[in-house]
Formats: sequence, C-alpha cells, structure tokens
Amino acid sequence: MKRAITTAALAVILAGQAFAEDLKIGFLYPSPSADVGWSKQIDLGREAIVAAFGDRVTTTVVENVPEGPDAARVMNQMVSDEAGMLVLGSFGYMNDGLKLAQQSPDLAILHASGFKQSTNLGTFTARNYEGFYLAGLAAGKLTEKDTIGIVAAFAIPEVVAEVNAIALAVHKVNPEATIKIVWVNTWFDPPKEQEAARALISQGADVLFSLHQDTPSVVNVAEAEGVQVVNTNSDMSSYGPNSVLASVTTDWSKYFVAQVQTKLDGGFQGGDFRGGLADGAVKVVSWGKKLSEADKAEILAIEAEMIAGTAHAFTGPITDQAGTERVAAGAVLPDADIFSMNWLVAGVDGTMPN
Amino acid sequence: MMDTVTFLLAGALLAGTPLLIAALGELITEKAGVLNLSVEGMMALGAVSAFITATTTGNYWLALLVGGIAAAALSAVFAFVVLITLGNQVATGIAVGVLGIGLSGLIGRNYESSTIAPMVKMPIPGLSEIPVLGPGLFNHVALVYLVPVLAVLTWWTLRSTRLGFVIRAVGESPVAAHAIGYNVVLIRFCAVLYGGFCAGVAGGFISVASATLWSDGIIAGRGWIVVALVVFGTWRAGRIAIGAYLFGAATLAGLLVQSFGVAIPSQLLTSVPYIVTIAAISLLSMNPAKARLNAPVSLGQVYLETK
Repeated sequence: MKRAITTAALAVILAGQAFAEDLKIGFLYPSPSADVGWSKQIDLGREAIVAAFGDRVTTTVVENVPEGPDAARVMNQMVSDEAGMLVLGSFGYMNDGLKLAQQSPDLAILHASGFKQSTNLGTFTARNYEGFYLAGLAAGKLTEKDTIGIVAAFAIPEVVAEVNAIALAVHKVNPEATIKIVWVNTWFDPPKEQEAARALISQGADVLFSLHQDTPSVVNVAEAEGVQVVNTNSDMSSYGPNSVLASVTTDWSKYFVAQVQTKLDGGFQGGDFRGGLADGAVKVVSWGKKLSEADKAEILAIEAEMIAGTAHAFTGPITDQAGTERVAAGAVLPDADIFSMNWLVAGVDGTMPN
Repeated sequence: MMDTVTFLLAGALLAGTPLLIAALGELITEKAGVLNLSVEGMMALGAVSAFITATTTGNYWLALLVGGIAAAALSAVFAFVVLITLGNQVATGIAVGVLGIGLSGLIGRNYESSTIAPMVKMPIPGLSEIPVLGPGLFNHVALVYLVPVLAVLTWWTLRSTRLGFVIRAVGESPVAAHAIGYNVVLIRFCAVLYGGFCAGVAGGFISVASATLWSDGIIAGRGWIVVALVVFGTWRAGRIAIGAYLFGAATLAGLLVQSFGVAIPSQLLTSVPYIVTIAAISLLSMNPAKARLNAPVSLGQVYLETK
C-alpha cells in the first residue's frame, strides 16, 4: 500500500499488558492508525475484542508495516512472543501469512481481503458495494447537474464492483445522469486524489465518490468547492459537515469477536468471511443534511430489503459497456462473479484501465 | 464552479509551485557541487512541521518558515556527513531522505489524516476578474505568485551577481575556488542549508496551502520529481520552471482526459507526465556538449580540502 518506510520508523504500541491472559493477538496494519481510514476500522475491531474479553486477551499492534520482508519479520516476532492469533490488515501480507500458517498449525490467522484460505487462516472481505449501492441511490436523487464523479484507487474487482453498484443505483433513480470516473492508480497520494476530484468537478460533477482514499483528501476538496461526497472506510462527516452525503464504513467488531471466541474455545477454522449490510460489517452512516426525509426513508427501506435478502445490488438485467448481457432479468449476479468483476456496466462514462 | 481551462491553469500552478520551490533550492545546492538526494524526506519533514505549526498557531507564514527550518536542520545532517566527514553524497542523500520520511511519520503521529482550513487566497485585484484566466491564474495564495519571482531572482543571482559566481566557482572547481581564497566547505554547507530550507517550504506548501491535510507519505514521490526536474532543466532556472509547471499540467491533463470519458487506458495517462519529462530530458541531452555546459563539473564529487 504505502511506500516502504524503514523499520526504524515503525511505531510499536503495546496495549494492555495483563498477566495470565489466555490469548495474545498480534495486529499488523499497512498504514498508521489515524482517526480515520482502513487501519482505524480494523483497530476499532481490536478495541471491540478488548472490550468483549477483557483480561483474557492481550493485543499488540504494529502499524505502518511495509508488505514484504518487513511484514514477515514482524509476524515471526509476534509468534515468538507467543501470539496465538494474528490479524493481518493488508492484502499484501497474504503469502507471508500463508507460509506462517503452515509452519505454525496452532496459530490462528485472520487476513484482510485475501483469496487464499487454509485450515488455520481465514480471510475477511467487506461487501462495500452494498453500501455504495445505497449511497448511489442518494447521489442519483441529489445531483442537480446530473453528473456523478468517482475518484477510484485501482481497478481491482472490489473497486470495480463498487463503481458498478454506484452506476446501477444512480441510473435506477436518475436514468439521465452521467457517471464519470477517474482512476488515480495509487492507493495513496492525497494531492493527486484531490486533483482528480477537482478535474471531475470541472466537468460538472456535483456528487463525488471517494473510493478507497484513506485520508479525507477528496472530502476536503468537496467541502471547499461546495459539492457532495460519499467516502469509504470511516465516518468522515466531521471533515465535511456540509459536503458528506454518506460514509460507507466497515465494522469488523462482530466478526473479530466471534473469531476470537472460536479460538479461545479451541475450534478455530479458517473461513472466507464476506461481510455486508446484513452482518453489520458494512454500514452506511452520516446521511447528509441535503437528503430529504422522504428520499432517506426510501433508501432505508431498500437497505432493509437488502439486509433481509430480498433485494440485491446486482439484480438483472445488467449489460456491460460492450452491450453484452451479464445478468438476465430477475437473476442475481453470483458471488464468484462479483468478487472477480473486471467489466463496467453500461452507462459508465469511462473505461477499465486495461 | 470551475470550468475546464480554469481548472487546468489553477491546478497546474498549484501542483507546479511546490515542485518549483524545492527545485530552485536543489538547483543552488547542485550548482555548488553537492547532489542532495534527500529532497523527498526534507519535503516530508517540512510538510509535517508546517502542518503542526499552522494547526497550533494558526499562522501560515510562520508555518512555512518552521517547515523550512526543520528541513534545513535535516539537510545540515546531510551536509555534515558529506562535507565534513566526506561521506558519499548519493548514499548519504538517500539515507537522510529515508530518515526524514521516518521522522515526519513519527512527529506527525497525532496529526495523522487531520485537515486544516486552507491558507487564505489573495486574488489579484482586477486581474482575477478576467473571465476564465482570472480565476485560473490570479486567485491563489500569495506564495504561488512569489515563486516565479524567486525563479527570476535565482536566474539573475547565478548569472550576474558575485554571490552567484562564487557558488558556481565552488561547484565547477572547488580546488580553484579554494586557491583564490574561498571557503569551499562553508559555501557548500550554506548552499545545502538553502536547498533544505526551500524543500521544507515546498513540503509546507503542500500540507497547509494545497492539500490542507497531513498524512504520512503525503509527498508521494514528489521529491524525486524535483531531483529529476533540476536535471531536466539542465541546471537553468527558466527551464526548471517550465518543467515544474509542465509536469503539473501534464498530471492534471491525464486526470482530465479520464473525466471526459475518453477510452484511453488510465495507466498510460498516469504515466504521461513521466513520459513527457523523460522525453524532454532525452531531447535536451541530445546535445551533450550543451547540457554539460550547465552541469556543475564537480557535482557529487567528494572534495578534500588541501591546506
């Protein structure tokens, strides 16, 4: 994620050093745990573990861990310090995590957004697209210039699914709207993300989506330029009191607590958790002031249907940009296709970057 | 709201300004014969120091000054190693740069991902009311207008002043400069400090005037662009200025073309600024004799004073 930063700069925090605990849990974050962002959301999950189990667990956090040899070193160190469980907060820790899982069969590992599991390594992913579908409905209703702008990190399936969910939702309530997209091709470059946001505003976008920007970079521009914005990961409404239309947040508390419980009970089994609105892993919070009560009620009703499983973001008919039908009318896109999405839906005014 | 041309002009100035500030500082350093590759780290340290100062005092000019001083302090470490203990300039520069990035993350821990109110803009009366061009070129914070002036001053200083001659003499032939009585080490030390100060101000500009937020890694490679710009500009202030604004404009153009919805792969557009810069470097160095004319002869070489 971030550029390599020397181990000298690694900040190590030891939280709650209790004795006679049952389980030590080590956390690796790819970025500093700030007030907002990806790492912060995982850290909130860690706090939930501490709150739920108290003295029975000890947690250790190493943040800003570059992917690669540094990550492997930190993991090994944690294991030799008798950690019984590791939470790996970045996709790039996958191979080192798998290797370690194989070497230490008693260790339990939870790995963020990976796609390889083993008996003692489980993965967790958020169905953010569900949240962005709801936010897309709001965006379609609110846009006055009928133009939505998306600042997107990389065109990986997860982000592509979010773009498509936004486009489908916007066009559901506002078929006239144009959806513009800028791929910044970086996970982290706040000034560039802001330039992308300004570029979209200059093309008439009055509702922006900030997909996977870890800092309030785009929110900051939206607030200054007087447009609406939907952001990822954390609630950023305090950074844009007038501009945040909604924040699509991730919440790992329930999942983490449940996994720690299975580990303490001795029944940990590596699974493939894909949490959405129904699991409480994805939450859309801080709906903006500009959204009318009637529109909000309508969106919340759809949210309830999605939680109940009667509505789905990718319900057919869905055609891609080339005009090929991807989902037949009434059908729902299978999970495997959602998590390997590499095509954009018709009506997105931009291309896949391959 | 902004239209396309206004956005491109305003954005290119905003993106080019910090690059140009740091590059003009690096130019002086290199003209004195010292290659300081720690620009990225100095900018990061400047950015965080300025951000913290602006957040706590609300004084943005003081913030830029503190940013400059913090980075100059870091460059003093570099200068000590390469000028006093005669360390290798390339290796030391990279090491000090990494140190600066690490330090900035550490110092900025409690400010990670916070934002700040933008520095107050100073629209130029009359000019800023010109349609399209006005809001693009003449509605910025004061520093944006001052930097081209600094470029002219740098050019003039190097070309026509005694100070400029001394700096160049030290960079061309430290032995000769020493022979006619100049303190080579002292002059180089000052040139490095000046370069550090400029890099710090540039970093501060990013954190308090353009991005208006602090996050570890916010410089995101701009320090390396600065180093490249000095070479691209063949050590001439005017060309460096053109390069800085061109790079800014090319970055924006790439984002803008995407937002038009044109079917060009975004990776290609993302790499356009670099391609433009590399192409320019190649074109300019096609005449090696000419390029070498401006390159400081002793650049990067260790100078051992003989008494």
